[in-house]
Amino acid sequence: MTPTTETTVGIGGAAESTDMVLNIGPQHPSTHGVLRLKLVLDGERITSAEPVIGYMHRGAEKLFEARDYRQIIMLANRHDWLSAFSNELGVVLAVERMLGMEVPTRAVWTRTLLAELNRVLNHLMFLGSYPLELGGITPVFYAFREREVLQNVMEEVSGGRMHYMFNRVGGLKEDLPAGWTTRARGAVAAVRSRMDVFDDLVLGNEIFRGRTRGVGALSAEAVHAYGVSGPVARASGVDFDLRRDEPYLAYGELQDTLKVVTRTDGDCLARFECLLAQTHNALDLADACLDRLAELAPGPVNQRLPKVLKAPEGHTYAWTENPLGINGYYLVSKGEKTPYRLKLRSASYNNIQALAELLPGTLVADMVAILGSLFFVVGDIDK
Amino acid sequence: MAPVPGSGLAKGLAVTLRTMTRKTVTEQYPDAQPELPPRTRGVIGLFEENCTVCMLCARECPDWCIYIDSHKETVPAATPGGRDRSRNVLDRFAIDFALCMYCGICIEVCPFDALFWSPEFEYAETDIRDLTHERDKLREWMWTVPAPPALDPGAEEPKELAAARKAADKLAAQQQPDQPGPDHPGQPDESGQEGRT
Repeated sequence: MTPTTETTVGIGGAAESTDMVLNIGPQHPSTHGVLRLKLVLDGERITSAEPVIGYMHRGAEKLFEARDYRQIIMLANRHDWLSAFSNELGVVLAVERMLGMEVPTRAVWTRTLLAELNRVLNHLMFLGSYPLELGGITPVFYAFREREVLQNVMEEVSGGRMHYMFNRVGGLKEDLPAGWTTRARGAVAAVRSRMDVFDDLVLGNEIFRGRTRGVGALSAEAVHAYGVSGPVARASGVDFDLRRDEPYLAYGELQDTLKVVTRTDGDCLARFECLLAQTHNALDLADACLDRLAELAPGPVNQRLPKVLKAPEGHTYAWTENPLGINGYYLVSKGEKTPYRLKLRSASYNNIQALAELLPGTLVADMVAILGSLFFVVGDIDK
Repeated sequence: MAPVPGSGLAKGLAVTLRTMTRKTVTEQYPDAQPELPPRTRGVIGLFEENCTVCMLCARECPDWCIYIDSHKETVPAATPGGRDRSRNVLDRFAIDFALCMYCGICIEVCPFDALFWSPEFEYAETDIRDLTHERDKLREWMWTVPAPPALDPGAEEPKELAAARKAADKLAAQQQPDQPGPDHPGQPDESGQEGRT
Protein backbone atom coordinates (compact mmCIF):
# COMPACT_ATOMS: atom_id res chain seq x y z
CA MET A 1 0.00 0.00 0.00
CA THR A 2 1.11 3.52 -0.75
CA PRO A 3 1.54 5.80 2.24
CA THR A 4 -1.05 8.25 0.89
CA THR A 5 -4.14 8.97 2.90
CA GLU A 6 -6.89 6.49 2.32
CA THR A 7 -10.48 7.38 2.77
CA THR A 8 -13.07 4.74 2.26
CA VAL A 9 -16.29 6.41 1.30
CA GLY A 10 -19.34 5.21 -0.51
CA ILE A 11 -19.77 8.08 -2.91
CA GLY A 12 -17.03 10.15 -4.47
CA GLY A 13 -16.35 13.81 -4.16
CA ALA A 14 -13.26 13.51 -2.04
CA ALA A 15 -10.76 16.30 -2.42
CA GLU A 16 -8.27 16.10 -5.24
CA SER A 17 -5.16 13.94 -4.76
CA THR A 18 -6.96 11.99 -2.10
CA ASP A 19 -7.15 8.34 -3.05
CA MET A 20 -10.42 6.65 -2.67
CA VAL A 21 -10.68 2.92 -2.13
CA LEU A 22 -13.68 1.53 -3.89
CA ASN A 23 -14.83 -2.00 -3.46
CA ILE A 24 -16.50 -3.55 -6.47
CA GLY A 25 -18.23 -6.61 -5.21
CA PRO A 26 -18.31 -9.19 -3.76
CA GLN A 27 -21.99 -8.65 -4.54
CA HIS A 28 -21.81 -6.56 -7.68
CA PRO A 29 -23.79 -7.44 -10.80
CA SER A 30 -20.87 -6.87 -13.16
CA THR A 31 -18.66 -9.38 -11.37
CA HIS A 32 -21.12 -12.16 -12.18
CA GLY A 33 -20.52 -13.95 -8.96
CA VAL A 34 -18.68 -13.09 -5.82
CA LEU A 35 -15.47 -11.59 -7.10
CA ARG A 36 -14.32 -8.55 -5.18
CA LEU A 37 -12.15 -5.88 -6.72
CA LYS A 38 -10.40 -3.44 -4.47
CA LEU A 39 -9.79 -0.36 -6.57
CA VAL A 40 -7.79 2.67 -5.52
CA LEU A 41 -9.12 5.63 -7.43
CA ASP A 42 -7.74 9.02 -8.22
CA GLY A 43 -10.85 10.76 -9.35
CA GLU A 44 -12.24 8.64 -12.15
CA ARG A 45 -8.95 6.91 -12.82
CA ILE A 46 -7.91 3.65 -11.28
CA THR A 47 -4.46 3.81 -9.75
CA SER A 48 -4.28 0.26 -8.51
CA ALA A 49 -6.51 -2.75 -8.53
CA GLU A 50 -6.45 -5.89 -6.51
CA PRO A 51 -8.74 -8.82 -7.16
CA VAL A 52 -9.81 -10.31 -3.83
CA ILE A 53 -10.85 -13.86 -4.42
CA GLY A 54 -12.00 -16.78 -2.33
CA TYR A 55 -15.57 -15.84 -1.47
CA MET A 56 -16.75 -18.96 -3.21
CA HIS A 57 -13.97 -21.30 -2.19
CA ARG A 58 -15.46 -24.73 -1.74
CA GLY A 59 -12.29 -26.68 -1.11
CA ALA A 60 -12.67 -28.74 -4.24
CA GLU A 61 -9.12 -30.07 -4.15
CA LYS A 62 -9.48 -31.29 -0.58
CA LEU A 63 -12.85 -32.85 -1.36
CA PHE A 64 -11.27 -34.72 -4.28
CA GLU A 65 -9.02 -36.50 -1.80
CA ALA A 66 -11.99 -38.15 -0.12
CA ARG A 67 -13.83 -39.19 -3.27
CA ASP A 68 -13.31 -42.08 -5.65
CA TYR A 69 -12.74 -41.41 -9.31
CA ARG A 70 -16.38 -41.56 -10.28
CA GLN A 71 -17.39 -39.22 -7.48
CA ILE A 72 -14.61 -36.82 -8.46
CA ILE A 73 -16.19 -36.42 -11.89
CA MET A 74 -19.29 -35.12 -10.16
CA LEU A 75 -17.25 -32.58 -8.17
CA ALA A 76 -14.93 -31.66 -11.00
CA ASN A 77 -17.66 -30.68 -13.41
CA ARG A 78 -18.84 -28.05 -10.97
CA HIS A 79 -15.92 -25.66 -10.51
CA ASP A 80 -16.47 -24.08 -13.93
CA TRP A 81 -20.17 -24.61 -14.31
CA LEU A 82 -20.19 -23.39 -17.89
CA SER A 83 -17.78 -26.02 -19.16
CA ALA A 84 -18.73 -29.07 -17.16
CA PHE A 85 -17.95 -31.56 -19.90
CA SER A 86 -14.45 -30.26 -20.46
CA ASN A 87 -13.77 -30.31 -16.72
CA GLU A 88 -14.78 -33.94 -16.46
CA LEU A 89 -12.54 -34.71 -19.38
CA GLY A 90 -9.34 -33.68 -17.61
CA VAL A 91 -10.03 -35.99 -14.67
CA VAL A 92 -10.78 -39.05 -16.75
CA LEU A 93 -7.85 -38.40 -19.09
CA ALA A 94 -5.52 -38.27 -16.09
CA VAL A 95 -6.85 -41.50 -14.59
CA GLU A 96 -6.84 -43.27 -17.95
CA ARG A 97 -3.23 -42.28 -18.49
CA MET A 98 -2.28 -43.61 -15.06
CA LEU A 99 -4.04 -46.88 -15.78
CA GLY A 100 -2.65 -47.07 -19.32
CA MET A 101 -6.21 -47.55 -20.45
CA GLU A 102 -7.17 -47.28 -24.07
CA VAL A 103 -10.50 -45.62 -24.76
CA PRO A 104 -12.70 -47.01 -27.58
CA THR A 105 -12.59 -44.92 -30.78
CA ARG A 106 -16.30 -44.25 -30.67
CA ALA A 107 -15.96 -42.80 -27.19
CA VAL A 108 -13.01 -40.62 -28.24
CA TRP A 109 -14.97 -39.05 -31.09
CA THR A 110 -18.12 -38.65 -29.04
CA ARG A 111 -16.11 -36.97 -26.30
CA THR A 112 -14.54 -34.60 -28.81
CA LEU A 113 -17.96 -33.78 -30.20
CA LEU A 114 -19.46 -33.11 -26.79
CA ALA A 115 -16.44 -31.07 -25.71
CA GLU A 116 -16.87 -28.81 -28.73
CA LEU A 117 -20.62 -28.48 -28.16
CA ASN A 118 -19.78 -27.56 -24.58
CA ARG A 119 -17.34 -24.96 -25.88
CA VAL A 120 -20.06 -23.38 -28.02
CA LEU A 121 -22.40 -23.35 -25.02
CA ASN A 122 -19.79 -21.67 -22.87
CA HIS A 123 -18.85 -19.08 -25.49
CA LEU A 124 -22.47 -18.26 -26.25
CA MET A 125 -22.91 -17.37 -22.61
CA PHE A 126 -20.14 -14.78 -22.80
CA LEU A 127 -21.14 -13.61 -26.27
CA GLY A 128 -24.47 -12.76 -24.68
CA SER A 129 -23.42 -11.52 -21.27
CA TYR A 130 -20.56 -9.30 -22.39
CA PRO A 131 -22.75 -6.95 -24.49
CA LEU A 132 -25.17 -6.99 -21.54
CA GLU A 133 -22.48 -5.57 -19.30
CA LEU A 134 -21.82 -2.88 -21.86
CA GLY A 135 -25.47 -1.88 -21.85
CA GLY A 136 -26.82 -3.89 -24.76
CA ILE A 137 -29.66 -5.97 -23.41
CA THR A 138 -30.77 -7.73 -26.60
CA PRO A 139 -27.86 -10.10 -27.43
CA VAL A 140 -28.23 -12.11 -24.25
CA PHE A 141 -31.68 -13.24 -25.35
CA TYR A 142 -30.30 -14.42 -28.67
CA ALA A 143 -27.45 -16.16 -26.88
CA PHE A 144 -29.83 -17.97 -24.59
CA ARG A 145 -32.05 -19.00 -27.48
CA GLU A 146 -29.06 -20.71 -29.09
CA ARG A 147 -27.93 -22.17 -25.81
CA GLU A 148 -31.34 -23.70 -25.35
CA VAL A 149 -31.07 -25.50 -28.71
CA LEU A 150 -27.74 -27.01 -27.75
CA GLN A 151 -28.71 -27.72 -24.17
CA ASN A 152 -31.65 -29.79 -25.40
CA VAL A 153 -29.22 -31.91 -27.38
CA MET A 154 -26.87 -32.27 -24.42
CA GLU A 155 -29.76 -33.09 -22.11
CA GLU A 156 -31.00 -35.79 -24.43
CA VAL A 157 -27.65 -37.54 -24.44
CA SER A 158 -26.55 -37.06 -20.83
CA GLY A 159 -29.67 -36.20 -18.86
CA GLY A 160 -28.21 -32.95 -17.56
CA ARG A 161 -28.35 -29.44 -18.89
CA MET A 162 -25.23 -28.15 -17.17
CA HIS A 163 -23.61 -30.85 -15.09
CA TYR A 164 -23.51 -33.58 -17.67
CA MET A 165 -21.79 -36.24 -15.58
CA PHE A 166 -21.35 -38.18 -18.82
CA ASN A 167 -17.65 -39.05 -18.73
CA ARG A 168 -16.44 -42.17 -17.05
CA VAL A 169 -12.95 -43.54 -16.72
CA GLY A 170 -12.54 -45.58 -19.90
CA GLY A 171 -15.21 -43.86 -21.97
CA LEU A 172 -18.68 -42.50 -21.55
CA LYS A 173 -21.59 -43.40 -19.28
CA GLU A 174 -23.78 -44.80 -22.04
CA ASP A 175 -24.16 -44.71 -25.79
CA LEU A 176 -26.01 -42.10 -27.80
CA PRO A 177 -29.78 -42.42 -28.18
CA ALA A 178 -31.06 -43.40 -31.62
CA GLY A 179 -31.45 -40.41 -33.91
CA TRP A 180 -29.43 -38.17 -31.64
CA THR A 181 -26.72 -37.48 -34.21
CA THR A 182 -29.31 -36.16 -36.65
CA ARG A 183 -30.74 -33.87 -34.00
CA ALA A 184 -27.25 -32.76 -32.96
CA ARG A 185 -26.44 -31.94 -36.56
CA GLY A 186 -29.69 -29.99 -36.81
CA ALA A 187 -28.88 -28.07 -33.65
CA VAL A 188 -25.39 -27.18 -34.87
CA ALA A 189 -26.81 -26.03 -38.22
CA ALA A 190 -29.52 -23.98 -36.49
CA VAL A 191 -27.03 -22.26 -34.21
CA ARG A 192 -24.65 -21.58 -37.09
CA SER A 193 -27.43 -20.11 -39.22
CA ARG A 194 -28.14 -17.51 -36.55
CA MET A 195 -24.59 -16.68 -35.56
CA ASP A 196 -24.74 -13.57 -37.74
CA VAL A 197 -26.57 -11.97 -34.83
CA PHE A 198 -23.24 -11.85 -33.05
CA ASP A 199 -21.18 -11.15 -36.17
CA ASP A 200 -23.26 -8.16 -37.23
CA LEU A 201 -25.58 -7.04 -34.48
CA VAL A 202 -23.02 -7.20 -31.68
CA LEU A 203 -19.62 -6.94 -33.30
CA GLY A 204 -20.85 -4.41 -35.86
CA ASN A 205 -22.46 -2.21 -33.26
CA GLU A 206 -20.80 1.22 -33.11
CA ILE A 207 -21.32 1.60 -29.39
CA PHE A 208 -19.95 -1.85 -28.72
CA ARG A 209 -16.88 -1.17 -30.84
CA GLY A 210 -16.43 2.25 -29.30
CA ARG A 211 -16.46 0.83 -25.79
CA THR A 212 -14.12 -2.05 -26.48
CA ARG A 213 -11.57 -1.00 -29.09
CA GLY A 214 -8.28 0.04 -27.54
CA VAL A 215 -9.63 -0.56 -24.05
CA GLY A 216 -7.69 -2.77 -21.66
CA ALA A 217 -4.86 -3.85 -23.93
CA LEU A 218 -3.03 -6.84 -22.46
CA SER A 219 0.52 -7.34 -23.66
CA ALA A 220 1.91 -10.71 -24.64
CA GLU A 221 4.54 -10.32 -21.88
CA ALA A 222 1.80 -9.92 -19.28
CA VAL A 223 0.07 -12.99 -20.71
CA HIS A 224 3.20 -15.03 -20.12
CA ALA A 225 3.90 -13.47 -16.75
CA TYR A 226 0.46 -14.19 -15.35
CA GLY A 227 -0.09 -17.52 -17.06
CA VAL A 228 -3.12 -16.25 -18.93
CA SER A 229 -4.53 -18.77 -21.38
CA GLY A 230 -7.42 -19.45 -23.70
CA PRO A 231 -9.07 -16.91 -25.97
CA VAL A 232 -7.87 -14.09 -23.72
CA ALA A 233 -4.23 -15.04 -24.30
CA ARG A 234 -4.72 -15.62 -28.03
CA ALA A 235 -6.22 -12.14 -28.37
CA SER A 236 -2.85 -10.79 -27.24
CA GLY A 237 -1.04 -12.70 -29.96
CA VAL A 238 0.02 -15.69 -27.87
CA ASP A 239 -0.55 -18.46 -30.37
CA PHE A 240 -1.02 -21.39 -28.04
CA ASP A 241 -3.80 -23.93 -28.14
CA LEU A 242 -3.46 -27.37 -26.61
CA ARG A 243 -5.82 -28.81 -29.19
CA ARG A 244 -3.18 -28.08 -31.79
CA ASP A 245 0.05 -28.01 -29.80
CA GLU A 246 -0.50 -31.10 -27.68
CA PRO A 247 -3.49 -32.85 -29.23
CA TYR A 248 -5.61 -34.94 -26.93
CA LEU A 249 -8.81 -36.86 -27.76
CA ALA A 250 -9.32 -36.82 -31.53
CA TYR A 251 -7.95 -33.33 -32.13
CA GLY A 252 -4.86 -34.79 -33.78
CA GLU A 253 -7.03 -35.88 -36.70
CA LEU A 254 -8.99 -32.64 -36.81
CA GLN A 255 -6.07 -30.37 -37.58
CA ASP A 256 -7.42 -29.20 -40.94
CA THR A 257 -10.75 -28.19 -39.38
CA LEU A 258 -9.25 -26.71 -36.25
CA LYS A 259 -8.38 -23.05 -36.63
CA VAL A 260 -6.58 -21.38 -33.78
CA VAL A 261 -7.85 -17.83 -33.80
CA THR A 262 -5.41 -15.15 -32.76
CA ARG A 263 -5.43 -11.39 -32.65
CA THR A 264 -2.57 -9.05 -31.87
CA ASP A 265 -4.27 -6.03 -30.32
CA GLY A 266 -4.98 -7.62 -26.95
CA ASP A 267 -7.83 -5.20 -26.24
CA CYS A 268 -11.40 -6.03 -25.25
CA LEU A 269 -12.52 -6.08 -28.88
CA ALA A 270 -9.79 -8.55 -29.84
CA ARG A 271 -10.78 -10.82 -26.98
CA PHE A 272 -14.40 -10.74 -28.07
CA GLU A 273 -13.44 -11.39 -31.69
CA CYS A 274 -11.34 -14.37 -30.64
CA LEU A 275 -14.24 -15.78 -28.67
CA LEU A 276 -16.64 -15.29 -31.54
CA ALA A 277 -14.35 -16.81 -34.17
CA GLN A 278 -13.65 -19.72 -31.85
CA THR A 279 -17.38 -20.33 -31.49
CA HIS A 280 -17.67 -20.58 -35.29
CA ASN A 281 -14.74 -22.96 -35.37
CA ALA A 282 -16.18 -25.10 -32.55
CA LEU A 283 -19.37 -25.52 -34.58
CA ASP A 284 -17.29 -26.66 -37.57
CA LEU A 285 -15.37 -29.07 -35.35
CA ALA A 286 -18.63 -30.47 -34.01
CA ASP A 287 -19.78 -31.12 -37.55
CA ALA A 288 -16.49 -32.80 -38.42
CA CYS A 289 -16.86 -35.04 -35.34
CA LEU A 290 -20.41 -35.95 -36.37
CA ASP A 291 -19.14 -36.87 -39.85
CA ARG A 292 -16.48 -39.13 -38.39
CA LEU A 293 -18.87 -40.65 -35.90
CA ALA A 294 -21.17 -41.67 -38.75
CA GLU A 295 -18.30 -43.47 -40.52
CA LEU A 296 -17.10 -45.38 -37.48
CA ALA A 297 -17.83 -49.07 -37.14
CA PRO A 298 -20.25 -50.01 -34.36
CA GLY A 299 -18.49 -50.51 -31.11
CA PRO A 300 -18.53 -49.87 -27.40
CA VAL A 301 -18.24 -46.44 -25.78
CA ASN A 302 -16.74 -47.57 -22.53
CA GLN A 303 -14.50 -50.11 -20.87
CA ARG A 304 -15.50 -52.64 -18.29
CA LEU A 305 -14.17 -51.35 -15.02
CA PRO A 306 -13.31 -53.23 -11.85
CA LYS A 307 -15.71 -52.75 -8.94
CA VAL A 308 -13.11 -50.78 -7.08
CA LEU A 309 -11.10 -48.61 -9.41
CA LYS A 310 -7.62 -47.77 -8.17
CA ALA A 311 -5.12 -45.65 -10.03
CA PRO A 312 -1.64 -47.17 -9.71
CA GLU A 313 0.98 -45.43 -7.63
CA GLY A 314 2.51 -42.49 -9.46
CA HIS A 315 1.63 -39.06 -10.74
CA THR A 316 0.58 -37.42 -13.96
CA TYR A 317 -0.53 -34.05 -15.23
CA ALA A 318 -3.39 -33.91 -17.71
CA TRP A 319 -4.25 -30.57 -19.22
CA THR A 320 -6.94 -29.72 -21.68
CA GLU A 321 -7.90 -26.65 -23.68
CA ASN A 322 -11.07 -25.75 -21.85
CA PRO A 323 -13.36 -23.09 -23.28
CA LEU A 324 -11.88 -20.50 -20.94
CA GLY A 325 -8.27 -21.61 -21.15
CA ILE A 326 -5.95 -24.28 -19.89
CA ASN A 327 -7.47 -26.57 -17.31
CA GLY A 328 -5.07 -29.00 -15.72
CA TYR A 329 -5.25 -31.76 -13.16
CA TYR A 330 -2.12 -32.93 -11.38
CA LEU A 331 -3.00 -36.36 -10.07
CA VAL A 332 -0.87 -38.03 -7.43
CA SER A 333 -1.94 -41.51 -6.49
CA LYS A 334 -0.64 -43.85 -3.81
CA GLY A 335 -2.57 -46.74 -5.30
CA GLU A 336 -5.68 -46.10 -3.26
CA LYS A 337 -9.16 -45.73 -4.66
CA THR A 338 -9.01 -42.02 -3.91
CA PRO A 339 -6.23 -39.74 -5.14
CA TYR A 340 -3.54 -38.72 -2.69
CA ARG A 341 -3.66 -35.26 -4.19
CA LEU A 342 -5.49 -33.81 -7.15
CA LYS A 343 -4.29 -30.33 -7.92
CA LEU A 344 -6.59 -28.29 -10.07
CA ARG A 345 -5.21 -25.63 -12.36
CA SER A 346 -8.15 -23.62 -13.57
CA ALA A 347 -8.09 -21.07 -16.36
CA SER A 348 -10.05 -18.27 -14.72
CA TYR A 349 -7.77 -18.14 -11.68
CA ASN A 350 -4.79 -17.11 -13.77
CA ASN A 351 -6.75 -15.00 -16.21
CA ILE A 352 -8.22 -12.87 -13.46
CA GLN A 353 -4.80 -12.08 -11.95
CA ALA A 354 -4.04 -10.02 -15.04
CA LEU A 355 -6.54 -7.46 -13.75
CA ALA A 356 -3.88 -6.04 -11.46
CA GLU A 357 -1.92 -5.25 -14.62
CA LEU A 358 -4.84 -4.26 -16.83
CA LEU A 359 -6.87 -1.95 -14.66
CA PRO A 360 -4.40 0.69 -13.37
CA GLY A 361 -4.59 3.73 -15.60
CA THR A 362 -8.06 3.04 -16.92
CA LEU A 363 -11.31 4.76 -16.05
CA VAL A 364 -13.88 3.27 -13.73
CA ALA A 365 -16.35 3.23 -16.62
CA ASP A 366 -14.01 0.96 -18.58
CA MET A 367 -13.51 -1.36 -15.62
CA VAL A 368 -16.70 -3.27 -16.40
CA ALA A 369 -15.70 -3.63 -20.05
CA ILE A 370 -12.29 -5.00 -19.12
CA LEU A 371 -13.61 -7.25 -16.38
CA GLY A 372 -16.23 -8.78 -18.64
CA SER A 373 -13.77 -9.31 -21.46
CA LEU A 374 -11.64 -11.64 -19.34
CA PHE A 375 -14.40 -14.27 -19.63
CA PHE A 376 -14.19 -15.89 -16.24
CA VAL A 377 -16.41 -18.00 -14.04
CA VAL A 378 -16.09 -17.24 -10.34
CA GLY A 379 -16.36 -20.90 -9.39
CA ASP A 380 -13.38 -21.52 -11.61
CA ILE A 381 -11.37 -18.85 -9.78
CA ASP A 382 -12.20 -19.90 -6.26
CA LYS A 383 -12.45 -23.65 -6.85
CA MET B 1 -16.77 6.16 -44.94
CA ALA B 2 -18.95 8.45 -42.89
CA PRO B 3 -22.07 6.63 -41.75
CA VAL B 4 -25.43 8.15 -42.60
CA PRO B 5 -26.84 9.58 -39.38
CA GLY B 6 -29.41 7.28 -37.92
CA SER B 7 -28.44 4.29 -40.07
CA GLY B 8 -27.53 2.33 -36.98
CA LEU B 9 -30.97 3.00 -35.54
CA ALA B 10 -32.64 1.92 -38.78
CA LYS B 11 -30.61 -1.28 -38.83
CA GLY B 12 -31.57 -2.00 -35.25
CA LEU B 13 -35.24 -1.43 -35.97
CA ALA B 14 -35.00 -3.70 -39.01
CA VAL B 15 -33.80 -6.50 -36.74
CA THR B 16 -36.67 -5.76 -34.37
CA LEU B 17 -39.19 -5.93 -37.19
CA ARG B 18 -37.74 -9.15 -38.55
CA THR B 19 -37.88 -10.73 -35.14
CA MET B 20 -41.47 -9.56 -34.65
CA THR B 21 -42.63 -11.63 -37.61
CA ARG B 22 -41.05 -14.81 -36.27
CA LYS B 23 -42.55 -17.33 -33.93
CA THR B 24 -41.57 -16.76 -30.32
CA VAL B 25 -39.24 -19.24 -28.71
CA THR B 26 -40.56 -18.67 -25.20
CA GLU B 27 -42.38 -21.63 -23.74
CA GLN B 28 -45.38 -20.73 -21.61
CA TYR B 29 -44.29 -23.10 -18.89
CA PRO B 30 -47.09 -23.62 -16.39
CA ASP B 31 -49.60 -23.78 -19.25
CA ALA B 32 -47.41 -25.79 -21.58
CA GLN B 33 -45.35 -28.58 -20.09
CA PRO B 34 -41.83 -28.96 -21.44
CA GLU B 35 -41.02 -32.07 -23.44
CA LEU B 36 -38.17 -33.72 -21.62
CA PRO B 37 -36.03 -36.54 -22.99
CA PRO B 38 -36.17 -39.89 -21.14
CA ARG B 39 -32.65 -39.49 -19.78
CA THR B 40 -33.45 -36.21 -18.02
CA ARG B 41 -32.28 -36.26 -14.44
CA GLY B 42 -35.31 -34.78 -12.75
CA VAL B 43 -35.92 -36.85 -9.67
CA ILE B 44 -35.08 -40.32 -8.39
CA GLY B 45 -37.80 -42.96 -8.25
CA LEU B 46 -37.59 -46.05 -6.05
CA PHE B 47 -38.97 -49.45 -6.97
CA GLU B 48 -38.78 -50.92 -3.50
CA GLU B 49 -39.63 -54.49 -4.46
CA ASN B 50 -36.22 -54.65 -6.07
CA CYS B 51 -34.37 -53.16 -3.12
CA THR B 52 -32.40 -55.62 -1.03
CA VAL B 53 -31.05 -53.00 1.40
CA CYS B 54 -27.50 -53.59 0.23
CA MET B 55 -26.73 -49.94 1.02
CA LEU B 56 -24.52 -49.53 -2.05
CA CYS B 57 -26.37 -46.38 -3.15
CA ALA B 58 -26.05 -44.79 0.28
CA ARG B 59 -22.35 -45.65 0.44
CA GLU B 60 -21.46 -44.50 -3.07
CA CYS B 61 -23.38 -41.24 -2.87
CA PRO B 62 -20.77 -38.44 -3.00
CA ASP B 63 -22.56 -36.38 -0.37
CA TRP B 64 -24.40 -39.08 1.52
CA CYS B 65 -27.91 -37.83 0.99
CA ILE B 66 -29.61 -41.24 1.04
CA TYR B 67 -30.97 -42.50 4.36
CA ILE B 68 -31.79 -46.17 4.70
CA ASP B 69 -33.08 -48.01 7.76
CA SER B 70 -33.82 -51.71 7.79
CA HIS B 71 -34.26 -54.68 10.04
CA LYS B 72 -33.71 -58.39 9.62
CA GLU B 73 -36.53 -60.86 9.50
CA THR B 74 -36.27 -64.60 9.71
CA VAL B 75 -38.01 -66.59 7.05
CA PRO B 76 -38.82 -70.11 8.27
CA ALA B 77 -37.32 -72.96 6.31
CA ALA B 78 -39.26 -73.77 3.18
CA THR B 79 -38.61 -77.50 3.35
CA PRO B 80 -38.59 -79.65 6.50
CA GLY B 81 -35.08 -79.96 7.82
CA GLY B 82 -34.01 -76.86 5.91
CA ARG B 83 -32.31 -73.83 7.36
CA ASP B 84 -34.08 -70.65 8.44
CA ARG B 85 -33.14 -67.75 6.22
CA SER B 86 -32.90 -64.15 7.26
CA ARG B 87 -33.67 -61.32 4.92
CA ASN B 88 -33.50 -57.57 5.08
CA VAL B 89 -36.67 -55.57 5.27
CA LEU B 90 -36.64 -51.92 4.29
CA ASP B 91 -37.98 -49.58 6.96
CA ARG B 92 -36.99 -46.24 5.59
CA PHE B 93 -35.65 -45.05 2.29
CA ALA B 94 -35.29 -41.30 1.99
CA ILE B 95 -33.37 -39.01 -0.30
CA ASP B 96 -32.55 -35.48 0.74
CA PHE B 97 -32.96 -33.55 -2.49
CA ALA B 98 -31.56 -30.46 -0.82
CA LEU B 99 -28.21 -32.26 -0.72
CA CYS B 100 -28.53 -34.39 -3.84
CA MET B 101 -26.12 -33.31 -6.59
CA TYR B 102 -28.04 -35.16 -9.30
CA CYS B 103 -25.00 -37.17 -10.40
CA GLY B 104 -26.87 -40.46 -10.74
CA ILE B 105 -24.17 -42.60 -9.12
CA CYS B 106 -26.75 -44.30 -6.87
CA ILE B 107 -28.75 -45.35 -9.91
CA GLU B 108 -25.63 -46.55 -11.66
CA VAL B 109 -24.40 -48.67 -8.77
CA CYS B 110 -27.74 -50.24 -7.84
CA PRO B 111 -27.19 -53.91 -8.67
CA PHE B 112 -30.89 -54.82 -8.55
CA ASP B 113 -32.40 -51.98 -10.57
CA ALA B 114 -34.35 -50.41 -7.75
CA LEU B 115 -33.55 -46.79 -8.53
CA PHE B 116 -34.43 -44.86 -11.68
CA TRP B 117 -34.29 -41.33 -13.02
CA SER B 118 -37.58 -39.66 -13.77
CA PRO B 119 -37.86 -36.37 -15.69
CA GLU B 120 -40.38 -35.16 -13.11
CA PHE B 121 -39.20 -31.80 -11.76
CA GLU B 122 -42.09 -30.07 -10.02
CA TYR B 123 -41.27 -30.79 -6.41
CA ALA B 124 -40.14 -27.43 -5.10
CA GLU B 125 -40.85 -26.83 -1.44
CA THR B 126 -40.99 -23.73 0.70
CA ASP B 127 -38.99 -25.32 3.51
CA ILE B 128 -35.67 -26.97 2.86
CA ARG B 129 -36.50 -29.76 5.33
CA ASP B 130 -39.44 -30.80 3.18
CA LEU B 131 -37.05 -31.72 0.40
CA THR B 132 -36.19 -34.95 2.17
CA HIS B 133 -38.54 -37.29 0.40
CA GLU B 134 -39.51 -40.62 1.91
CA ARG B 135 -40.17 -43.95 0.22
CA ASP B 136 -43.86 -43.33 -0.54
CA LYS B 137 -43.03 -40.19 -2.50
CA LEU B 138 -40.11 -41.91 -4.24
CA ARG B 139 -42.47 -44.72 -5.16
CA GLU B 140 -44.97 -42.30 -6.69
CA TRP B 141 -42.20 -40.98 -8.89
CA MET B 142 -41.42 -44.50 -9.98
CA TRP B 143 -44.56 -44.48 -12.11
CA THR B 144 -43.34 -41.44 -14.04
CA VAL B 145 -40.12 -43.17 -15.15
CA PRO B 146 -40.05 -43.36 -18.96
CA ALA B 147 -38.67 -46.25 -20.98
CA PRO B 148 -35.00 -45.77 -21.86
CA PRO B 149 -34.40 -44.47 -25.40
CA ALA B 150 -33.34 -46.83 -28.17
CA LEU B 151 -29.61 -46.69 -28.83
CA ASP B 152 -27.78 -45.37 -31.85
CA PRO B 153 -27.26 -47.95 -34.63
CA GLY B 154 -23.53 -47.62 -34.07
CA ALA B 155 -23.85 -48.60 -30.42
CA GLU B 156 -22.79 -51.91 -29.02
CA GLU B 157 -25.68 -54.25 -28.28
CA PRO B 158 -26.91 -53.88 -24.69
CA LYS B 159 -25.60 -56.72 -22.57
CA GLU B 160 -29.14 -57.80 -21.67
CA LEU B 161 -29.92 -58.34 -25.35
CA ALA B 162 -26.66 -60.15 -25.94
CA ALA B 163 -27.37 -62.45 -22.98
CA ALA B 164 -30.93 -63.12 -24.19
CA ARG B 165 -29.67 -63.92 -27.68
CA LYS B 166 -27.07 -66.27 -26.29
CA ALA B 167 -29.72 -68.09 -24.24
CA ALA B 168 -32.04 -68.32 -27.25
CA ASP B 169 -29.24 -69.69 -29.42
CA LYS B 170 -28.40 -72.27 -26.81
CA LEU B 171 -32.02 -73.34 -26.61
CA ALA B 172 -32.27 -73.55 -30.39
CA ALA B 173 -29.14 -75.65 -30.51
CA GLN B 174 -30.60 -78.02 -27.94
CA GLN B 175 -33.85 -78.38 -29.84
CA GLN B 176 -32.12 -78.79 -33.19
CA PRO B 177 -31.22 -82.52 -32.91
CA ASP B 178 -34.82 -83.40 -31.94
CA GLN B 179 -36.27 -81.91 -35.10
CA PRO B 180 -36.51 -84.50 -37.83
CA GLY B 181 -35.87 -82.24 -40.77
CA PRO B 182 -35.16 -83.35 -44.33
CA ASP B 183 -32.56 -80.61 -44.72
CA HIS B 184 -30.78 -81.40 -41.49
CA PRO B 185 -28.24 -84.01 -42.48
CA GLY B 186 -25.61 -83.52 -45.12
CA GLN B 187 -25.81 -79.74 -45.41
CA PRO B 188 -22.88 -78.30 -43.55
CA ASP B 189 -23.30 -74.85 -45.17
CA GLU B 190 -26.63 -74.17 -43.56
CA SER B 191 -25.67 -75.39 -40.13
CA GLY B 192 -22.68 -73.04 -40.33
CA GLN B 193 -25.06 -70.20 -41.00
CA GLU B 194 -27.24 -71.04 -38.07
CA GLY B 195 -24.25 -71.09 -35.79
CA ARG B 196 -23.54 -67.52 -36.66
CA THR B 197 -26.97 -66.04 -36.10
